[in-house]
Amino acid sequence: MEGRPEEDSQLFTRAQRGDTAAYEEIVQRYQQVAFRTAYVITGSAADAEEAAQDGFVKAYRALGSFRSGAEPKPWLLKIVANEARNRVRSAGRRHHLELRLVERFRPGDAAPSPEAETVAAEDTRRLLDLVNGLSDEDRLVITSRYLLELSGEETAAALGIPEGTVKSRLSRALARLRATLGEVSHA
Amino acid sequence: MPELEQQLSALAAEIDWPATPNLAPAVRSALPASGEVAREARRRGGPVGTTFGRRWALAAAAVIIALAALVAYQPSREAIASWVNVHLFVQRVHVVPTPSPLPAGPLGERLGLGSQTTLADAQKQVSWHVMVPSKLGEPDEVYLQLPPDGAVKGEVTLVYAMRPGIPVAGETGVSVLVTEATGAIDANFFGKMLGPGTTFEEVTVAGHRGYWIAGSPHQFFFIDASGKFRSETLRLATNTLLMDWGGTVVRIEGKLTKAQAMEIAASLR
Repeated sequence: MEGRPEEDSQLFTRAQRGDTAAYEEIVQRYQQVAFRTAYVITGSAADAEEAAQDGFVKAYRALGSFRSGAEPKPWLLKIVANEARNRVRSAGRRHHLELRLVERFRPGDAAPSPEAETVAAEDTRRLLDLVNGLSDEDRLVITSRYLLELSGEETAAALGIPEGTVKSRLSRALARLRATLGEVSHA
Repeated sequence: MPELEQQLSALAAEIDWPATPNLAPAVRSALPASGEVAREARRRGGPVGTTFGRRWALAAAAVIIALAALVAYQPSREAIASWVNVHLFVQRVHVVPTPSPLPAGPLGERLGLGSQTTLADAQKQVSWHVMVPSKLGEPDEVYLQLPPDGAVKGEVTLVYAMRPGIPVAGETGVSVLVTEATGAIDANFFGKMLGPGTTFEEVTVAGHRGYWIAGSPHQFFFIDASGKFRSETLRLATNTLLMDWGGTVVRIEGKLTKAQAMEIAASLR
């Protein structure tokens, strides 16, 4: 019989005592969100992998700074996102991030689908195109908050800005996106 | 939730993300020996900021952080940090993390100094007066490091590629770095963190207190105004003059003699 998954706090306590197996479990739990966050920042899967990997190693060395009872996700994302930004800076450029839809929404889908579904798919594709076309700042905040589904605190940690700035930046980005969406709809 | 936000939330499930690699094996193989972190965590009981990258792994492994002295010193780091904006610690290390020899790109960028900018723009973005040593003239490049990567109120670095009479540091291709951040030096802590064999001398330039550190590569620690531990490498791994210039911490790095460094400091305007 499998036991209940160990709580994050227990894993962190063990890892702080030097238990690398516990830390490996932490990496397994958070590697997806860490990798995707780094991908959104760097625009490159290869760079994101390196940033996430180095971020996790760096986080291990900084485990002493992790406060007992704190949320691990923002703490880890802050470190990984810093690594990702450092890579963008040292490369002197950011790869153009172009998010894509899963296969079923791609144009040319041969499978027959009801008309309503096709329209919905087209709307989704158009919305993603608009998100892809936003400025870096707008795209980062919208992608973090909605597509990575990060909380306000996590978004702030990932973007390295205060939570209040996330709110204001998000509000402006949504307004711009809404305006663009309106222009497209009326075109 | 307004319609657009709903649509964006629904979009999350439709994104074709690149496959997430299994990072655990690679991370595990790069971790320090079991027990090292635990010992450090017990000693430190607080944050640390070491630089880690694949290229720097060997060097970083050699950086033994002598934080015990700090923790042993009462009161706490937070209280200490509240006395002044910044305290400085310098530690000798066996191998200094330096970038690969002369990679392509702007001088300061490969040294991890932040974003390249102009002097005028850097000045606009920080609250203190950015000083330029007239002895060296206008810098070849200017970099600005802002939080969270830089110090709380930012850090400005002036890069001097070549200057007559000052050798270029072999691995970096830089003659002199002048780095400025708001803060102060506290000698009580400063001296405690020095490793054996490091030449360390208190100096005064134009009425400002400073320290001349010579002979060995250094790792540079300080606590910023938020109480956060920061770690930086003295990037040229050469002699360094650290000055407390009336609220601005200035560090001048290069293959300089003490007299040259002090002359440069004296020409700060």
